[in-house]
Amino acid sequence: MGKSILIVDDSESIREVVCFTLESAGHTVIKAVDGQDALRFLDGTKLDLIITDLHMPVMDGITLIREVRAKEEYKFIPILFLTTESQNDKKMQAKEAGATGWIVKPFVPEKLLAAISKVVR
Amino acid sequence: MDQFIKKFYEEALDLIQELEKSLLILEDDPSNKSHIEQVFRAMHTIKGNSAMFGFVHIDKFTHNLETVYDLVRLGKIKISASLLTITLSAVDHIKRLLNEGEHVEQDTLAASDSLTVQINKFIPVESNSNNIADNVTAMSEAESVTENINQTTYLVSFKPHADIFKFGTNPLFLVDELCALGMHISFPAIINIPEIAFLQTDTCYTEWNIFIASSEDINSIHDIFIFVEDDCELEILPIADYNLLGKEQFINIISELYAANNTFDISELRNYAQTLSSAEVLRGDKQIAKRRENTKDNSISSIRVSSDKIDGLMNLVSELVTMQAQLSLFAEQNFLPELTSISENMDKISRRLRDTAFSICLIPLDNMLTRFQRLVRDVSTELNKNVTFLTEGTETELDKTMIESLADPIMHILRNSLDHGIESAAERKRKGKFEQGTILLKAFYSGTNVHIQISDDGAGIDVEKIRVKAIQKELIAADAVLSKQELLELIFFSGLSTAEKVSELSGRGVGMDVVKRKITEIRGEVEIASEVNKGTTITIKLPLTLSIIDGLLVKIEDTLFVVPLSSVDTIFAAKYSELNEYNHLVIHAGKQIPYVYLRKMFHYSVNTDTQEQVIVVNYMDTSVGIVVDRVVGEYQAVLKPLGKSFKNLDIISGATILGDGTIALVLDTTKIIKQFINAELNQNKQISL
Repeated sequence: MGKSILIVDDSESIREVVCFTLESAGHTVIKAVDGQDALRFLDGTKLDLIITDLHMPVMDGITLIREVRAKEEYKFIPILFLTTESQNDKKMQAKEAGATGWIVKPFVPEKLLAAISKVVR
Repeated sequence: MDQFIKKFYEEALDLIQELEKSLLILEDDPSNKSHIEQVFRAMHTIKGNSAMFGFVHIDKFTHNLETVYDLVRLGKIKISASLLTITLSAVDHIKRLLNEGEHVEQDTLAASDSLTVQINKFIPVESNSNNIADNVTAMSEAESVTENINQTTYLVSFKPHADIFKFGTNPLFLVDELCALGMHISFPAIINIPEIAFLQTDTCYTEWNIFIASSEDINSIHDIFIFVEDDCELEILPIADYNLLGKEQFINIISELYAANNTFDISELRNYAQTLSSAEVLRGDKQIAKRRENTKDNSISSIRVSSDKIDGLMNLVSELVTMQAQLSLFAEQNFLPELTSISENMDKISRRLRDTAFSICLIPLDNMLTRFQRLVRDVSTELNKNVTFLTEGTETELDKTMIESLADPIMHILRNSLDHGIESAAERKRKGKFEQGTILLKAFYSGTNVHIQISDDGAGIDVEKIRVKAIQKELIAADAVLSKQELLELIFFSGLSTAEKVSELSGRGVGMDVVKRKITEIRGEVEIASEVNKGTTITIKLPLTLSIIDGLLVKIEDTLFVVPLSSVDTIFAAKYSELNEYNHLVIHAGKQIPYVYLRKMFHYSVNTDTQEQVIVVNYMDTSVGIVVDRVVGEYQAVLKPLGKSFKNLDIISGATILGDGTIALVLDTTKIIKQFINAELNQNKQISL
């Protein structure tokens, strides 16, 4: 069953690669370029999962995660964030902000899908 | 992303090829264990990968096939001809699904369903019901039988923190993921759930104790819980190094224990495991050893390199060879002993580098073989003819690009042999032949050429039929006098199909002319020999490489030409006066040798003053001399195409750049001789062709 997934990243190539992988696996993808942009979709749109980058202009990922958790409607939505091996302190911050899990960059499609299958089904 | 998909396609196609190969072997040897394993593995991987890349239809379709071959592997189903037939059509269907990619046509899906129904008939009722009930369980059960000995039984106790929902985590997903690893028994502790009035929906009250038997190691189990390690209490305890859950006794024990005190004493469990195991472990050890041996055999000592990289390497080698020629020339002109020795050594190394680089591009004919075997099998079944397909020398290696362009022509020749060549069993019996027809595909090296021969012991070709047809189609004059060989070679002209009625298989409008054209495109030649009622042999001659050749540099006036060294036999000097102009023969070592006077052919004036050189080259079964002014020496020629404008100039196969930057044309001696003969024949008007 395809899910509705919001991907938030300022890099177009990352957005595209994630989008392609997810769509190939039968999901519906909504794309946003940063946290602020992502908030537009948190208006009652049915979402099953949010995947966000942490470093973004305008509004970063951690702020976005806090914003999402503050909304009654999206309080329990799974949120995965994209991170690199070297950002361990960020990992803790994101986790504290309420993220569900993470995907280490660079990733291969199966890793991405495996991470997603942990949090939505 | 595309590159992942591309990888997936590549891998899938390879796997399909492997599958076909193994299936064809199983046809002859149905109990061949290693090939049964291979079939299963290939199916398993195709299924797994297609699921990963979102090819749900392939995933769904291969699932049942995988189940069937899992049962075959376990000895529960025997390989039968009907199973192989259906499997082969299923493999074709997977190819079709692959071709259609993400947008699968409706009738392809219908075909999927009907094939699935047929495949399911092979699954015995007992396992079939399992399969319908729950795919995951069916698989893990089937696997547990063989992998029992490789498994470890763990007790996983998972207690999520009360606020875990606030992180968007659904602990049930994690439990599901864990249970997918193998056989499992789960004991959820729900006693903490309060009465409904006190229940807080955002709080997690449940915890789990799960027994799982899996071949995964403890780290993989930890990985499942990687996101929640800080949000839960997690304990993963190995209890036994085999599958305890297969034992009813153990299940009874843990159920009793849990009912009594809602928890497990780990040391007590381990003791039970010990007493239950001893006999089984002994048996298991042997099997593990056996399995290790098998995996060893399968290890591959090759790597996969993209063909772009190889093409790049070949280009660089070509450049190097050209540069080397410049260096040699420079060394020759400025005589310095050190420079000469460096240049000579460089020359040796660049030659070796060239040869090594070429050998990288070579792949054995074996790679195509499965397709041919498959074709013969399918077509002979369809035509109801009894045919054995023999192969010889399929380890012969050819340039990768050539192999690719060869497949279609060879398939066409095979189809012809099967359709028109081999007679029906009854007819063969009447002619006093074996009822079983034979088609032989033979490959071998001949000098710097590779020959591929496809011969059948069928009806052969009746040249009189060709003559009638050719006259009808106005290819030859009604009174033309042609030798048998010339008549046979007419089949390479377009529009000449000797089959009295066009069948569905061969004679679809693509005839031998297309075969000939395709082979010519890769600088090959096709020859035919046929004897009525004895059979037909078609020989494809191909150059070993396409881009660099060893050549003989020759000169006419001021123009340089390269003659491929592979065709050169001997060279001797002669004056024009020694050449017999009337019947084009020159006498050398007591033998009459026909010659081609290149000066005439290229419209130079006749040289009557000085000695000229006659290069004797092999043509068909005889020797023919090619007369040039002077032989300069041996030369490694990097063959460059002449470009579109000169595409039809077939006596020149290309051009090469010499060390000093001048250009030499590479002559195709066979074509030159052919053209010469044709020109002479036309002049004498002996026959018209």
